[in-house]
Amino acid sequence: MGDTTVNASTSNVSIQHGEHIDTIESVDLVFRAQRKLSFTYGAIFFAVTLAIPASSVWWQGWYSVPIWGGFTANYLFVSLLYYFFLWGMAWTYSKQADKLDDRLMDMADDIANATVKGGEGS
Amino acid sequence: MNTIAIGLVIVLILFTIALSIFSRRFTRTTADFYLAGRKVGSFSNASAISGDYLSAASFLGVAGAVYASGLDGVWYAAGFAGGFMVVVLFLASALRRFGEYTVADFAFGRFGSNRIRLITVLAVLLTSLFYMAPQMFGAGTTWAVLVGRGIFGMDPYTSGVVVVTAIMAFYVAVGGMKGTTLNQIFQFWWLWFAMFLVVVFAFGNGFNYPQALAEASKAPIVNTKAMTAKELTTADPKTGKTPLDSAKKIMTPEEFAAVEAKVALNDPKAKIPVALGSKNKLHELRVQLFAEPGHRYNAFDQFSMVLALVLGTAGLPHILNRYYTNPSGAAARRSTFWVLIFIGTFYIFAPIAGLAGIGFIKDYLAGGGTVAAATVHGMLVKPDQVMPTLGAILGGQWLMGVVAAGAFAAMFSTIGGLLIAAASAVGHDVYEKYINPNASEAKRVMVGKVSVLGFSLLAMVIGLAIPKFGLDQAYPALIAMMVTWAFSVGASAFVPMLLTGIWWKGTTERGATAGIFVGLFSAITIIFLNIFQQLGVVGKEGILGFFGALTFPVLFTFPLGLLTIYVVSKIDGQLPKNVDEIWMRIHGTANERHEKQHGLDKVGTMFAKAK
Repeated sequence: MGDTTVNASTSNVSIQHGEHIDTIESVDLVFRAQRKLSFTYGAIFFAVTLAIPASSVWWQGWYSVPIWGGFTANYLFVSLLYYFFLWGMAWTYSKQADKLDDRLMDMADDIANATVKGGEGS
Repeated sequence: MNTIAIGLVIVLILFTIALSIFSRRFTRTTADFYLAGRKVGSFSNASAISGDYLSAASFLGVAGAVYASGLDGVWYAAGFAGGFMVVVLFLASALRRFGEYTVADFAFGRFGSNRIRLITVLAVLLTSLFYMAPQMFGAGTTWAVLVGRGIFGMDPYTSGVVVVTAIMAFYVAVGGMKGTTLNQIFQFWWLWFAMFLVVVFAFGNGFNYPQALAEASKAPIVNTKAMTAKELTTADPKTGKTPLDSAKKIMTPEEFAAVEAKVALNDPKAKIPVALGSKNKLHELRVQLFAEPGHRYNAFDQFSMVLALVLGTAGLPHILNRYYTNPSGAAARRSTFWVLIFIGTFYIFAPIAGLAGIGFIKDYLAGGGTVAAATVHGMLVKPDQVMPTLGAILGGQWLMGVVAAGAFAAMFSTIGGLLIAAASAVGHDVYEKYINPNASEAKRVMVGKVSVLGFSLLAMVIGLAIPKFGLDQAYPALIAMMVTWAFSVGASAFVPMLLTGIWWKGTTERGATAGIFVGLFSAITIIFLNIFQQLGVVGKEGILGFFGALTFPVLFTFPLGLLTIYVVSKIDGQLPKNVDEIWMRIHGTANERHEKQHGLDKVGTMFAKAK
């Protein structure tokens, strides 16, 4: 990060790494998109994870009826299927986050350049 | 004497030391010592994170908890794995983008005060000590089972604690983060392989998962316990029945006659193993079957335990430090995905080993076989010993050796990470920032090494103190329980600060500091109340009794920390003057775009010699 420049002389703070610039507008764009993605996945993750103990407390068919040998649905999900859920979530989230990064990177450059030029002109 | 098994453990230890000495030549700067030069690739980092994460609690404790408690024990495995989703979704890439050394650096960089850096250092040290304690206890108990005798006049437990401390202090101080990373990668794959091998041997010996589960669930779970004659004959004031009455219903006439003979001797120090009935804490009218929830947790604890495990991972300083060793934010996410694959497969195997232990150990004892661990009614008295015992039954001394070495690998890898985290808290966050900011690189690295030695000694003292205070008698599955305490402390102290610091721009320094303080000390207070209640110091009535009965405080302390940050920040309203710049460091991508453009985001080598 030897060629990092922080410019706070204009009304809009910007950080420059080589040819690439971050402005608060471009970062807010990235932040909002990232927050939407993370919290959507987070809501699904916590809903499923907390649904397991909830079902263990209130749904007798879930915790007491064997469905495969000695496996109840509860035991099968906690000991095996939950991991497939985690792997699927982590994989799709990482891919979507990477795509989001790529998409936002070009947009961030455009916004940052426009903002910096606008700041210089005012 | 388990000669082959001990030999395998010695091989592991020698290899560990050799790796540290090998990596020594590549550790010159503080970035090398604490962060392995930020050059650890996703696969290597995922292996090292997994090694860091899988401790004695995972290797010995999960199988033991399943063996003793069935489904409620399986939750340890699922919860430990689920915790990484919180890390990947909310923390991983933001922490790496911020680009610091430690969690305390993040707190300082985000909120800009020495006060928050110092309280974060305190929280890191306390959380690390809470996590270190069960590793030390695991070292002592594993040594006792494996070697069975002490050295230099010490008892077996003390010998295990002292030897493991000495090895760890040496290899972490010599190898730094690079040596520790290499060792963690090796140790993780050893312990994964050991667990895999036990499961393969179980299936090879006719184990059938659904059928074994059906078999284990035919009759109610039986609890095993070692109690004194006085404890066995003291009646419960509520029911008027003694534990001996319960044992009579469970044990065979021959087994019970042997217990009665020992009780008649009335030796006040002798512990008599007994088998007792179990109670369903969740559905009180149902008998407690293996495949059903309720052996350990009531309705409240079912939720609290899940939250403790899921949120706690994101509050472990030695795990969070690992995210700074990634070369980029995207690499941090990839690392976490691989971690989930590695530890997920491990945690699928561990409950299989615990369940397999029930049938194989019972059949082996019924067939006239003998095992080193204490048994009663065809079961182990201490469930944490199921892994080495199962290894010995299924594969003789060789498999027992692989398992024992796996147990030590689990302890070494976690203790290594904790020592680095503690050393960076003292050496980097305190010494370099406040005591001697102008210190040379060599001196900074030296202070890191001295910190490792100091923290090792402290951990050893705590490890030796655990049996002295009777904690091992107060909690039946102490290793898993103590690790969950560490999770609770980390989840309450750090996670609210990290989540709000990353995702809510309105968080102020006062709010974050107050949140850490409240989360940290409320969690520690409730944990100690629980300990005092188990030891009989605190009663079960009143407000103290209520909080003392909470097995996991997170359901209270995490929201309390979060609420504190929100309320104090709203009242305070004083954001750092450079809050926009800070925000851009956390969420900005200019650095990553620049690195991507010039190919600087590629992983280099950990073994480039420092110029």
